[in-house]
Amino acid sequence: MSRGSKIYTIPDREKEEIVFEVANISKRFGDHVVLDDVSFFIPKGEFLCLCGPNGAGKSTFLKIVLGLLDADTGTVEIHGQRRANSKLVGYVPQRKRFHRDFPARVEELIAANLRGKWPLRVRAAEKKAVEEALERVGGSHLYGKMLAGLSGGEMQRAFLARALVTHPPLLILDEPTAGVDVSGREEFIEILYQISKSDELAAILVSHHLGEVAKTAERVLYLQNHVVAWGLPDELLGHEDLAVLKGDIRSTRYDSEIRHAKEKR
Amino acid sequence: MDWLTEPLSQGFMQRAMICGVLVGGLCAAVGVFVVQRGLSFIGDGLAHAAFGGIALGLLLDVSVDHSHWVALPFTVFVALGIAFVLRSGRLGGDVATGVFFSVSFALGVLFLGLRPPDAPIVSIETILFGSILAVSPTDLYVVAGVTAASAAILLGTWTRLAYSTFDKDLAQLSGVPVALLDYTLLALTAVIIVVSVKTVGVVLVSSFIVIPAAAAGLIARSVVRMTALAVTLGIAGAGGGLIASFHLDVASGATIILGLGAMFFFALIIARR
Repeated sequence: MSRGSKIYTIPDREKEEIVFEVANISKRFGDHVVLDDVSFFIPKGEFLCLCGPNGAGKSTFLKIVLGLLDADTGTVEIHGQRRANSKLVGYVPQRKRFHRDFPARVEELIAANLRGKWPLRVRAAEKKAVEEALERVGGSHLYGKMLAGLSGGEMQRAFLARALVTHPPLLILDEPTAGVDVSGREEFIEILYQISKSDELAAILVSHHLGEVAKTAERVLYLQNHVVAWGLPDELLGHEDLAVLKGDIRSTRYDSEIRHAKEKR
Repeated sequence: MDWLTEPLSQGFMQRAMICGVLVGGLCAAVGVFVVQRGLSFIGDGLAHAAFGGIALGLLLDVSVDHSHWVALPFTVFVALGIAFVLRSGRLGGDVATGVFFSVSFALGVLFLGLRPPDAPIVSIETILFGSILAVSPTDLYVVAGVTAASAAILLGTWTRLAYSTFDKDLAQLSGVPVALLDYTLLALTAVIIVVSVKTVGVVLVSSFIVIPAAAAGLIARSVVRMTALAVTLGIAGAGGGLIASFHLDVASGATIILGLGAMFFFALIIARR
């Protein structure tokens, strides 16, 4: 672990089954160091919130974990394997990236993840798996609907069902509640938490809204190009230094989020 | 049925019809992916690159009839260049295409100007607007061969192309060879465009790529139906346009484009979402 990392209460590697681990991940673009020696791990069933301001390297980190980008150094291990695939990782991408004009139905979206190709039509066996996945996210009514007609919250559920349908041991969600209204957000995070518990799924939720997830996350990792702090939500919320680490405007926003989250708790 | 049998009783119209229907259907099929990926401009860009390639062939003293053999590698090279720039993520598709497009067109003009004064005279208009009524039996064999090969490639990769068109990251995570498909799609588009430019011209080929796919995208409620509808519209536009141009005694290329345009506006009106 590099400069100034504050490690609070973290899982005990001896007692837990580790599902996800990154070791010494570094990445630079030209002279700009985006990720500097990032190492941490997640045991089975733990819900971790990966926080950090914009430009802190969160997206780059996710790309490396998903195998979409190569790190300069370091290793990723998911359930004992070095390369992510859709059986190992259920990935819910940022909402703004979804292709809204593509004429697709919810069940095709989910079946595509099962099959690894876009389905010409959804087979009977797939239909059952798709219906199960939708039921788990409280989205049974979405079967048969066009993606283009879904609301923000419905879209999130459809993509969460898509991620769950392969029964992966790890779930990764990139800013999943951006653009969803407040009640929809809380509901979504709650569903996520329930699923993570009942299935003992490890989950990484990427967010720059610490306050939103601090209530449900079991562990928080604050990333700003390197691991700034890693521990329990309460410990990080009490880490007053975090807010002013860089002294920039985003930290001020983070500061207000911490206060807000503390009041909520 | 005289309206149909009369024009088709002549050899040049039969060849024009077969060629137009094949090119119209094929361009529409590949166009579905090009348009859904937000690369509509690429049809135009590659058609102009093909013009540069044909001009290069003419400069090298290859005859007009055979210049597409020079245009083919030239245009595929440009297409792979665009695909590379796109994948590097440093430029948007429109910027990359815009640069390659204007540079290769300018090269084409330059090549034509560099030809010796005693070189055979070439009609630029024929290159730009094509001469579908002058399709030779050899042209037709080339078009038919490319259609068969392209259709096989498209059918073989269709489900994966559709997945990576929907979302590259999700497709790659599911094991789809996204990079290979990106290059394949653009190279295939380049080949289809060169062969089509030879018969229907630079201007018409990009409408064949974009308009049926865009119209189908407005109406269709699944990717399969969108592809089927685009191909149908491309074929109907080519066939209907040719017959209409015969009876109205007007330019066939322009009639086909106007027919496709009319279909697009009809689709815009009846679009449900």
